[in-house]
Amino acid sequence: MPTPDRPAFAGIDRLPALIAPFAAFGPDIAVAIEDADGRLIAGIASSRAARVSVPIGPESAPLGRVVVRGPGGAAGAPGVESAARVLAAALAALAEAEGVDAQAVEERTRIEAELALGRRLQRSFVPLVAPDVSGWALASHYEAAREVGGDFFDAFAPRDRRSELAIVMADVTGKGIAAALLMAFARPLIHAAIDHARRPAVALERTNRILVEERRAALFITALCCYVDTRSGSFVVANAGHEPPLIIRVGDIAPEEVVVAGPLLGAFPTIALDESHGVLEPGDTLVLYTDGVTDARAADGIRFGDERFRGVLGDAANAGATARELVDAVVGAVRAFIDDEPAADDLTIVVARRLPPRPRVRRLGARSASRR
Amino acid sequence: MALDMGFEQTGGGDGTTVITLTGELDASNFTELIEAGRRLHADGTRRIVLDLAGLSFLASSGLVALHSLIRILRGEAPPDPEEGWGAIHSLEFDVSGGGAQDEVVLVAPQAAVDRVLERTGLKRLFRVHADRSAALADA
Repeated sequence: MPTPDRPAFAGIDRLPALIAPFAAFGPDIAVAIEDADGRLIAGIASSRAARVSVPIGPESAPLGRVVVRGPGGAAGAPGVESAARVLAAALAALAEAEGVDAQAVEERTRIEAELALGRRLQRSFVPLVAPDVSGWALASHYEAAREVGGDFFDAFAPRDRRSELAIVMADVTGKGIAAALLMAFARPLIHAAIDHARRPAVALERTNRILVEERRAALFITALCCYVDTRSGSFVVANAGHEPPLIIRVGDIAPEEVVVAGPLLGAFPTIALDESHGVLEPGDTLVLYTDGVTDARAADGIRFGDERFRGVLGDAANAGATARELVDAVVGAVRAFIDDEPAADDLTIVVARRLPPRPRVRRLGARSASRR
Repeated sequence: MALDMGFEQTGGGDGTTVITLTGELDASNFTELIEAGRRLHADGTRRIVLDLAGLSFLASSGLVALHSLIRILRGEAPPDPEEGWGAIHSLEFDVSGGGAQDEVVLVAPQAAVDRVLERTGLKRLFRVHADRSAALADA
């Protein structure tokens, strides 16, 4: 019987009339319409052996097949194959007449499945829990594009360096399942490299070497790697082809860019990366992001751009936004800018703020003995 | 979002093709440029002059296309960037000396495009010319 929830051919709803002639060959004959991969689209499933199988459309690229199963005597009867050919021709003609391209349908299905898998993969690699670092506030946003990109980020205390915070922001070039898979390969690689490298440039250089030696990637990765000493606020950052990070200083209107650059990962057998050093004073905020933020485009083709991005960050910071509110302000501004169109690229932003010392709460009547 | 590609064979029959890119090269169309490179190579092109004067935006995916063009012209079949895991990426660039390759030269990248090439370090793979005639003379 036709299964209307799995449409594959136009004209499939006329199937009962088309398969009726087969009844003449015997009651146990099962006629099935299968797609190009042998999945039952319509007709009757049977565990018996296939006696006849003819392509619907050209044999080289069939839209599907008509398969007749049943007892050898009945299904193997001389007229069965020619009846199956008539049915296949009818289905092919109907598909053509009604403009349904089963391959296009199948392609679309395949792409959708890939997209879903890519998004799931991607989501599964977004850190679930932001590390709880005393004196610091971390906030992030990750949003997969419809056709998933390869953004990823990570934030953790490296092994044996528990007072340090490593923050990684990366973007695999290209899209879809290939980008998501490379991301899945690269993320733990970078984590391990960071655990074993005292300098972020060394961590990224090792990652590059492994990516190239393993020859895993037809794609490249841009990556930022930042080590923060959570006690002093001093940081070191290395950049492999990524957008440099920004710092919002307490009291400054405009975010400043950390000047650091270098070649991306996966393109050159060996790379030597520079590092940039600095200090985050209490209240200062480090912002890492991917080009999905700045390259987000409105329907008229205008991109969100650096200037708007920095403007939003500066305004929000001046209004006293927390780390979380800062991230939300950017995401809200990008969404409003692209008018809630589906984002063409992943949108990822991570901010780390060094919290100002907590003001001492002085209770009424409390003596100032606690002052040291 | 749109990318226009114009193709022009140079008269000398030296296997040089000028590709003029107009619009934006990004994740939605970078495979088209790779595909065009494959076809050109099959038809005898061995060197591509990429005129970028009309290209207003180059996304990181576009870099994959530029990289792939070089490999195609060297007769290496670059992996399908959408093939993912099984794709093999042989990296034959001699970058130790910082030398650019000869297969693909660039013409007149706009500032935004130049910034991406610069930022990602890929610029060192390419000789960049101010105009097309200079690029064609640079055989």
